[in-house]
Amino acid sequence: MASTGSNSSVQGADVPASRADIVVALTSHNDVRTIGAVARALRDGLARYFASSAVRFVLADAGSTDGTREAAREAVGPSALMEVEYERGAEELGKLPYHGHPGRAAALRAILQTAQGLGAGACAVIDAGLHTVEPAWIERLIVPVLTDKFDYVSPYYVRHANEGAITKSIVYPMFRALYGVRLRQPAASEFGCSGRLVAHYLEQDFWDVEQAAAGIDLWLAVAAACGEFRTCEAVLGARVAATRGTPVDLSTILAQVVGALFTDLEHRVDVWQRVRGSAAIPIFGTVPGIGPEAPPLNVDGLMESFRLGYRELREIWTWVLPPRTIVELRKLTETVPNRFRFDDRLWASIMYDFVLGYSLRVMPRDHLLRSLTPLYAGWLASFVLQMGSATLAQIEERVEQVCLGFESEKRYLISRWRWPERLR
Amino acid sequence: MWEQVDRILRQATTQIADHIANFLPGMLVSLVLILAAFVVAFLARLLIVRALRGLDFDRRADHWGLAALVGWPASTSPSQTVARVIYWTILILGLLVSLTALNATIPSRLALSVFGYVPDLLAALLILVIGTVAARFLARSVLIGAVNMQIQSARLLSLVVKWLVLIVAVAMALDHLGIGRTVLLLAFAILFGGIVLAAALAVGLGARDVVSRTIERQLREPPPGDDKVNHV
Repeated sequence: MASTGSNSSVQGADVPASRADIVVALTSHNDVRTIGAVARALRDGLARYFASSAVRFVLADAGSTDGTREAAREAVGPSALMEVEYERGAEELGKLPYHGHPGRAAALRAILQTAQGLGAGACAVIDAGLHTVEPAWIERLIVPVLTDKFDYVSPYYVRHANEGAITKSIVYPMFRALYGVRLRQPAASEFGCSGRLVAHYLEQDFWDVEQAAAGIDLWLAVAAACGEFRTCEAVLGARVAATRGTPVDLSTILAQVVGALFTDLEHRVDVWQRVRGSAAIPIFGTVPGIGPEAPPLNVDGLMESFRLGYRELREIWTWVLPPRTIVELRKLTETVPNRFRFDDRLWASIMYDFVLGYSLRVMPRDHLLRSLTPLYAGWLASFVLQMGSATLAQIEERVEQVCLGFESEKRYLISRWRWPERLR
Repeated sequence: MWEQVDRILRQATTQIADHIANFLPGMLVSLVLILAAFVVAFLARLLIVRALRGLDFDRRADHWGLAALVGWPASTSPSQTVARVIYWTILILGLLVSLTALNATIPSRLALSVFGYVPDLLAALLILVIGTVAARFLARSVLIGAVNMQIQSARLLSLVVKWLVLIVAVAMALDHLGIGRTVLLLAFAILFGGIVLAAALAVGLGARDVVSRTIERQLREPPPGDDKVNHV
């Protein structure tokens, strides 16, 4: 890792150039359309809330070719920006992760190493490809760390029923059931963390794992939840991201995100086998109302995908799912749309069976994860049909029920988990 | 005259005794070799059954599609069958080796020619096994991918891929064994070319409208998940 650019403070605080109280980091990849606005919003937020602190802006760019770096320098001033360089594997450029940021793990590592080198007490990481960043975001992500001594600040996004459904249906419920911490967005690209947690992150051994590019955000949240760190959530409002290049198809997104979750939980069995229940964590900020316009979703197409999946992939599912689950799924395929409901405990047990199948390698892992797509489509169709015009509180309540399903079925996972021979 | 008869008898007896004396050690070695082959085969069978059970081979073979391809009866597990094949292979090889010990011309030639054929046989078997595993893997990849793209004839596509790979594997294995090389090559070319031609004609003439409608639908209606929704 190397850095270029000046080390002078954004706010011009009188501190040595090699020190900083706060590090604000941007990760980017061809984000020329948004990075200027994001950087200006963060700069304004820093001027408003941390005028007396020494702050460094750090940019970790994944080799943008559209003038992203120039736009960032222009927005915060060329002398105020530290640009960190990092290794980007050639294979990662060919197989882009779902968030469109190749080499994200290396980028985050370089950022955290810079923050540690500067002795920062707090570090905030924000994706430069967002349309909705406001000055208040910086306050929400940093104040809990500096003032209230939290170590990890996770964003709380206000999202419609059909947004972030992989998080709502799988990542959040499973993360919560396994690690006992109610973080609604464990795989978010934005977060705030303390200097203590930065040091802990840099000691982890997941940075060079094959799936790190797609799973690193989730793994950082898991590392915080599994350690002795204080975690909280900060309300950031809506999160609207610009599309980076060609959109990644749903089954690839699902395979990358769920694969990262499954891979990590294999290494933390000793933690999640002991956790019972879950605990709420503090939320900073007032939760606003949900926006009026939900992005359109083809619910009929999702149901058709589920039915087609049942018809053609049932044989593959039988490798991981028990007969009673297959029978339940058959009943669902025969249900009329207005009664189409995915039972929460059924969904939780399906996910746990996939975890077991993944762990036991009953078939190539990519096949297993991709065969999950029609089941996810069925769950999403069911969820959207129930939550069509629901308020945020109603959506939260429904997600809470899903999470409780995962918590109550966790004993099923524990009972069926196959320990390695050496530990039996 | 009696002296002559006696001499000839003595000579014959000596010759027979010599022949027996020459033949007996070979016979003895041959018997020892058969016995050793039997013991080795028995031990190999025992070890292989245990090793394959330890590796959960029966379930894996089922998943790889080997069980379906070979057509193992339900009463015999794949690991038992593999062990049995190896048992008999060792036993037959032992028998052939024991034949060479007898120093007889025809059995020795037979044994040597069979030994010469064994590497080709093993290579062909390996090609067949790899082909089967690859066919199974690719067929499943195509099936899952096609279902996720909401292609209604996903199963058909998957079967086509599976059988194409299997046919190529069988053709390669037979070619390696030198069985009907020219006939096989011709048959394969005709079959493969025929399939491609038939598919081209079917699409071009019979299913032109269906294809155009499908492409139009694919372009107009993206599959679920390709909506402008952030799923993570």
